Amino acid sequence: MSEPLLTVENLQTQFFTEEGVVRAVDGISFEVNEGEIVGLVGESGAGKSVATSSIMRLVENPGEVVGGTVRYRDEVLVGFEEGPDGERRRSPEMLSEAEMRTRIRGREIAIIFQDPMESLNPVFKVGDQLREFIEINREVSKAEAREIAVDMLREVGIPEPEERYDDYPHQFSGGMRQRVLIAMALACEPNLIIADEPTTALDVTVEGQILDLVRDLQAKYGTSFIWVTHDMGVVAEICDRVNVMYLGEIVEQAEVDDLFYDTKHPYTEALLRSIPRPDQTVEELNPIEGVMPEAINPPPGCRFHTRCPDAREVCRRAHPAYQDVTGDEPPHRVSCVKYEDVGYEDSDPLETAATGAFGGGLVEARGESDE
Amino acid sequence: MSRLRYAAGRLLQSIPVVLGVITITFLLTDAIPGDPVSIMLGPSPSAQQAAAIRAKFGLDQPLHVRYVNYLIDVIRLDFGQSLYYGVPVTQKILERLPVTLLLLVSSFTFALVTAVPLGVISAKRRNKPTDHVSRIVALFGVSTPSFWIGLMLIILFAYKIRLFPATDLVMPWAHPSAVDGASTQLEVVLTALHHLVLPTITLGTLQMAAFTRIERSSMLEVLGQEYVKLARAYGVSEGKILRKHAFRNAQLPLITIVGLQLTQALGGAVLTETVFSINGMGRLIITAINNQDYLLVMGTTLMFGVVFVVGVIVTDLSYAYVDPRVSYDDTD
Amino acid sequence: MATDTSTSTKFDVRDAEAEEKVEARVGLRYTLSQVRRDPTALAGLFIIGLTTTVALIAFVDSTVFEQLSKIGFFANLGVEKYWLAKTFWYSPVHEPAGAEILRPPFGLTNELYPNRPGTLDHPLGTDHRGRDVLSRLFYGTQIAITVGIVSTGIAMILGTLVGAVAGYYGGWVDDALMRAAETLFAIPFLVLVIAFMTAFGRNLMFAMIGVGIATIPTFARLIRSRVLSVREEDFIEAARAAGVRDRNIILRHVVPNSFAPVLVQATLQVGINILIIAGLSFLGYGAQPPTPSWGQMLSSSRNYMLPNPWFSIWPGVAILVTVVGFNLLGDGLRDALDPRINN
Repeated sequence: MSEPLLTVENLQTQFFTEEGVVRAVDGISFEVNEGEIVGLVGESGAGKSVATSSIMRLVENPGEVVGGTVRYRDEVLVGFEEGPDGERRRSPEMLSEAEMRTRIRGREIAIIFQDPMESLNPVFKVGDQLREFIEINREVSKAEAREIAVDMLREVGIPEPEERYDDYPHQFSGGMRQRVLIAMALACEPNLIIADEPTTALDVTVEGQILDLVRDLQAKYGTSFIWVTHDMGVVAEICDRVNVMYLGEIVEQAEVDDLFYDTKHPYTEALLRSIPRPDQTVEELNPIEGVMPEAINPPPGCRFHTRCPDAREVCRRAHPAYQDVTGDEPPHRVSCVKYEDVGYEDSDPLETAATGAFGGGLVEARGESDE
Repeated sequence: MSRLRYAAGRLLQSIPVVLGVITITFLLTDAIPGDPVSIMLGPSPSAQQAAAIRAKFGLDQPLHVRYVNYLIDVIRLDFGQSLYYGVPVTQKILERLPVTLLLLVSSFTFALVTAVPLGVISAKRRNKPTDHVSRIVALFGVSTPSFWIGLMLIILFAYKIRLFPATDLVMPWAHPSAVDGASTQLEVVLTALHHLVLPTITLGTLQMAAFTRIERSSMLEVLGQEYVKLARAYGVSEGKILRKHAFRNAQLPLITIVGLQLTQALGGAVLTETVFSINGMGRLIITAINNQDYLLVMGTTLMFGVVFVVGVIVTDLSYAYVDPRVSYDDTD
Repeated sequence: MATDTSTSTKFDVRDAEAEEKVEARVGLRYTLSQVRRDPTALAGLFIIGLTTTVALIAFVDSTVFEQLSKIGFFANLGVEKYWLAKTFWYSPVHEPAGAEILRPPFGLTNELYPNRPGTLDHPLGTDHRGRDVLSRLFYGTQIAITVGIVSTGIAMILGTLVGAVAGYYGGWVDDALMRAAETLFAIPFLVLVIAFMTAFGRNLMFAMIGVGIATIPTFARLIRSRVLSVREEDFIEAARAAGVRDRNIILRHVVPNSFAPVLVQATLQVGINILIIAGLSFLGYGAQPPTPSWGQMLSSSRNYMLPNPWFSIWPGVAILVTVVGFNLLGDGLRDALDPRINN
């Protein structure tokens, strides 16, 4: 297999708040291959968006990437090394802020944000916003950039793109704006697009159209995607490979079919069970029980044990290793005590939110909204 | 075209406000105790003289008749005679209004030219020393009485250092022969600017401070918006984000405030004109009130009201110019 | 959304938006707990505490003792207006016999006394009648604090009423009240108040009432925008459905829900009103001599400020410090209410 396009290793991002340090992303690893759509799934507050901002080095104060490596082809976007005094410091290969801006952002990696209503600047013409980003990232003249912009608007299904070029964002519907943002990302011809819940703010029919559009365009341009979502349905529809995140960690990673048909982690199972099906009544829905604990004070041992239906005494003590459990290619990695030899079988079951002790009272939404 | 129609529509909407200003002033001036006739004719006029004057000015009529008569006069753009100065109110206003407008324009220019960069830098360097300094300047600016700033400036710059004069404001459009030491129009303008420095700072400091605070907080808000993050994610430089992507949006709250600060500044002009002995509208209205010159009071207040209304319309127009979401077609 | 451009409505849209975001955090207790951790707000609180204490002492020594001295028992004890000042310090109003006028502050000189620096007897110097400047400043605090708070109180009560009625009933009531508010805005504060005082009485009481009335629109607008958003809340619907009368809904539910933002505005407004009333006193519309007030001290200092600038500096510093106190506290309260600026 060829080298991955993007490799993330043990990435750590923390927020230094008045209340204490929040470990929003706590040592995640995954890669993205050429032409692949990789999902990043989890509930609100799992750290998905922080993870993507960390890759782009766009984490804002009081947040900071504090460890790990992010490699894009030969470029080191994030890199740390041990100093002579044992201090962790930025490695010299790590790109400078200016290099990130001129060589990576927009040009190699583009981003689509969650909220199409807020992502376009209300006081500038839609076309001009598109044109500006093309000009910056493709070294073309103003006129060429304009042409590319109009073509791209047509490509993403905006009718009469010549006329709409001069419209302002408020004259577009939510779905149309999201198309503009997709056009923006594709027009810069990046190799990787990070889509941060791009369909969450849209209604279901529009969501379907956008997913179809992305699938078609992805086939045409061969761009890789990191697709951030909380919706397992969207994952099934669009992703090749999936990473499931819980409280700043990746707990399971597999090809999309493996994940759905050979689920290993109880959290993934719970997520899958929680997808509403048309044949279910409200009473039959299976939400994940309990509330996700705060990342500022994560539970000891396995972070999911407070809500896990399979939790045992040992889960409270042992932090599970993240490892391949099938030995096949492609690997299926999971982080659960069940697959380790630490005495899970002999341990006493725990009473958790999901085992019925406090069930019912603590029914939590399955994350319709994200941060 | 639609912009013109919009302005006309707003002007029509402002009629109730102008009418309200007339009514309030009319009732207040009527309630001022004392007899305007005695001010005109001295302390003990003969009954005959007094009655003649009353009849001449319509003062013998009941309140509501006088009110309606005044309204009719205003519609005919006739603001009557000033009792105190003995000249038409219009003449007096035309004489004084340019002075006050000059003062307003120069102090707002000063305020905006200093406040916008200060606010932007403050937001950009949030919680850094530059920010702290600019916030302290702004805090003191909104907490200091303007007339006291005027007194301090006079002591310091007009008396101790003798850098800027404190009196004898010259109009930049005055004829060179009327201005000491000036032979060309350019020299007149320079003299005028030299004389304007202290009054401008006196009147403008409060606006400057208020604008700085607005500019800082709105810039901070805009810098946190998704579209700014998006620009950053597409490799736009921080400088360009500030100058282009954030700047225009951040000016919207400022535009709204500039219009509202106008009346406050008109009030401030009363004090500034007093401190620097400038013969503008502010001192005119105080003289008029003190001397029961009711027609002059009415005329001047009405003028203030008109300046306010025009200011608000200009504000709305600039707002609509900057923000495409506001369309000219909806005027209620 | 922002297609309507008439001034009043535009502000309301903005206010309502801003309000909505802070909704979860408008609790008064939460606000106060935030303020406790904010050093600048605490500095403001300290200044306000200090000036209010001074004002209270001055109030007792002037107004309270003046009333008591009319009662035989106390008069026999020697109680009179400025009793404390006369006994332990300098009277702020009476010219001492053989006083030196326009003395510079302790250790400093001025043009009148180039070779004789000021002494500790009069640490801030004396005024044009030989009275102690510090004593006059001390007693002037009372007027500044009183007028600031009373005028704001008037504006707050009437403004809340007007705004609540306008917002709750809407329609023509709203239109009429908001037009009236705009009219008050169209006449410069100072001019309005001066005309008002000339008509009804050129003293401090009418200065307070005048400034209070002139600033009604500020509070009316604030409350109105709050009411517009609160009106749609479920609990209001519920109260209405339960047959609670309009007046009670406004008083019991709508107004208390708007309390926190009003508190912020009121704190800032006290500072603004102190400035306005100082300006009025400077023009001669305010406390009449010999009653000490900061604005009037500045006014009388004008004729003497060139030989003795100190006389003009002190009252201004006193106003500045007091108003800074209210602004610091007001900003602190607002930050506590608005998490966007806070974080």
